[in-house]
Amino acid sequence: MKKHTITAILCAAVALIAAAIAGTSFLEARKQTPIVKGPGVSEIKMLSDWFPGLKGSPGDTEVYILRGAKPGASMLVLGGTHPNEPSGHLAAVMLIERAQLPSGTLYVIPRANASGFTHNDAQEGAPQKFTIQTPAGPRVFRYGSRATNPIHQWPDPNVYIHASSGQTLSGSETRNLNRGYPGRPDGTLTERICYGIVQLIKQENITITVDLHEASPEYPVINAIVAHPKAMSLASDTVLGLEMQDIAIRLEPSPVNLRGLTHRELGDFTDTLPVLMETANASQGRLRGRTDEALVLTGKDKWYVRAARLGRLYVPYDEKGHPLDERVGRHLAGIQELAFSWTLSHEDQPLEFEGLPSYDDLMTDGLGAWLNPPSAPQS
Amino acid sequence: MLYIYLAILAMVLGLTLWVLFSTKKPSLQVTAAMVMVPLLLRLLLIK
Repeated sequence: MKKHTITAILCAAVALIAAAIAGTSFLEARKQTPIVKGPGVSEIKMLSDWFPGLKGSPGDTEVYILRGAKPGASMLVLGGTHPNEPSGHLAAVMLIERAQLPSGTLYVIPRANASGFTHNDAQEGAPQKFTIQTPAGPRVFRYGSRATNPIHQWPDPNVYIHASSGQTLSGSETRNLNRGYPGRPDGTLTERICYGIVQLIKQENITITVDLHEASPEYPVINAIVAHPKAMSLASDTVLGLEMQDIAIRLEPSPVNLRGLTHRELGDFTDTLPVLMETANASQGRLRGRTDEALVLTGKDKWYVRAARLGRLYVPYDEKGHPLDERVGRHLAGIQELAFSWTLSHEDQPLEFEGLPSYDDLMTDGLGAWLNPPSAPQS
Repeated sequence: MLYIYLAILAMVLGLTLWVLFSTKKPSLQVTAAMVMVPLLLRLLLIK
């Protein structure tokens, strides 16, 4: 056998081994990490129960239902709309694992874009997962992509045209769940997920919908609640309540001409009161340095500290960073304050939460102390 | 559309393999092997 044929076989063998290792890692990302349901969960359904067009598709996802002891208002919480914004997913998981309701009903979708959890954004160097230590052992969570997996929805058009408004955006936005509302039953996978969520809201007559997000520290809409005009009064009361807990938060009106987002379309197309909440996540920012699990968990990044000193950020940033404990704490405090503000003005339709950690609890004890043990029965 | 994509991928992978086995330059062989990795993953619809 000639020398160059032997080296070609060797090179091909190395390529096959590399492809096998990388392929195994990518396929591993398609397995969902377990959520350990808590005592408040009454029922687990799938989004396809409200829109059968999703059944068997990568867009179908679990809906956890927590029914209160007494009737009242209802709330839908969307975590994982963007799976590279982990505080939204973790806050939803915490609701499933800890919350109990004296009154009202809570619907939680922890992986709103389940497909987005199965891959990473290209060229971002983001970790595929992150680990939170609990007293009973480590819990692993997926760090995904902002968008639906192109394996599940492809190809992207050159220009994405939002169906109901005609708004044009970059082609890749066609896989962004928070640009597809109110969705279409015969649209792309992303549009069908949006449509499924809208059907859930309509059929269950959801009172309040909360979409949990994170933003880059250099993005203006951060540590904020974005509210549809009809949810503005409730959001205003919530902001006041959070400020009284020393949690600084902005209130932003939902822009009329930015279409496809929950805080705009759910308010226009359904009877729910939609709000969107943002926290500060350095691991998705453009100015970040090394991108790894530590950055996801701690938010510590020297480049963001420097940017803050130069006045380039919209959120305070120092060497302490913005840990995931703080970001989840902000979301949970916001959700509880929304329910409290609603109940104050609607005593005949209460919505009450128990069993959740406060912002201070999470800052003191950390997330791990409040997550269920990994060995408990899993959903 | 998917099948056209896969056919193009298979063709490019075939050409890459042809280069890998026909060239006598080690640097080109290593380059061809590196190019094979993403092509294989895409052909198998993994990434």
